[in-house]
Amino acid sequence: MVGRIKSAGLIAALLVILLPSFTLAQNVNFGVSPAEVHIDNLAPGESAEFELAIHNKEELAHNLTIATFQPPEEDRREGRAEFPDDRWISFSSQEIEVAANSQASVTVTVAIPQEQKWAGEDWEIWLGVAAETSDLLAARLYVRLLVSTNPAAKAGSNAGLVAGIVVGIILLGFGGYYCFRRKARPEYL
Amino acid sequence: MKAVITSIFAAIILALIFSLPALAQDSDTITITMKGVNEISISLDKTQWPLGNVASDTEYTTSPPIEWCTLTAGGNCNMKTFIVGEDAKWIDSPGAYKWTLSSDGTNGDHIYGLWFRISGDTTRGYVPVTKTEGEFWPYSGGSSLAPGDTKQFGLKLLTPIYFVGGRQMQTKITISAVTA
Repeated sequence: MVGRIKSAGLIAALLVILLPSFTLAQNVNFGVSPAEVHIDNLAPGESAEFELAIHNKEELAHNLTIATFQPPEEDRREGRAEFPDDRWISFSSQEIEVAANSQASVTVTVAIPQEQKWAGEDWEIWLGVAAETSDLLAARLYVRLLVSTNPAAKAGSNAGLVAGIVVGIILLGFGGYYCFRRKARPEYL
Repeated sequence: MKAVITSIFAAIILALIFSLPALAQDSDTITITMKGVNEISISLDKTQWPLGNVASDTEYTTSPPIEWCTLTAGGNCNMKTFIVGEDAKWIDSPGAYKWTLSSDGTNGDHIYGLWFRISGDTTRGYVPVTKTEGEFWPYSGGSSLAPGDTKQFGLKLLTPIYFVGGRQMQTKITISAVTA
């Protein structure tokens, strides 16, 4: 057990080495475009894709990671609610190496489950792109992703399909019953 | 038999009448708009602060104190900026020992404080860096930086009142940006 030493006289015994990154000093300089993406009219059950371009503006190659981030309510656009489930967003790659002074692309797919409760919603989530580093200071860029789901189309679609199927089944049942009755009817010669 | 065929035919027609308009709506155009042709970008001209050995309950500041690092807003859109810190972890065994980052810049046993100060920010002075994202530059009309804007800042570290010595500790401060 490590003894608790609080005496100021023993400060010298408590020395540690903090932040000992003696590697070559590096800058951080990268960009992401587009900075804001709007997806409108996305019906539950459908998906949409777009590409993010990541620009490495340094003289060294960098590994960059991409992840979703739920912003606090005060930082979301007006009228936007929290994106319900970040598992609905997928990336072609969550880690990408970008060569010096060049750019790379990541495909982002947004897929909304086919449930009526997700129709007619306006959501916001951020996609965070960060350079992997063990340095003290790091930078992260967020892309605002604004998703609006189709308010009525899917609702009409489901109702129409269900009604059509129900009517079809009723008529088929009636036809089958009528046929059965005809066959079962005794014939009088 | 004729009635059966007629019924099936009628059923199919009715099902199509109900469902075709709805099915047609499935081909609604999904609109994906990339706002402008915008890019968000920031650069930091310094990322390391090699302190070496530190003593307990002691303040350390970067040199120069508030013009140590320069943040430059790039791209072509206004942006909001944030800063967040994390616990300092023992490099040899990150899960075994850490210094907890305090929520108000003060220190304690195994608790350290971290502050930043932006040159020209006479209103706030030194601001604690916490584990919750806080605004880096909350001024200039709408809390945003415009492309080309620069901000110089420095850091201050307050070591724990008590900590286990002889261990290499490492932490990270992340500065982030989003379109304003």
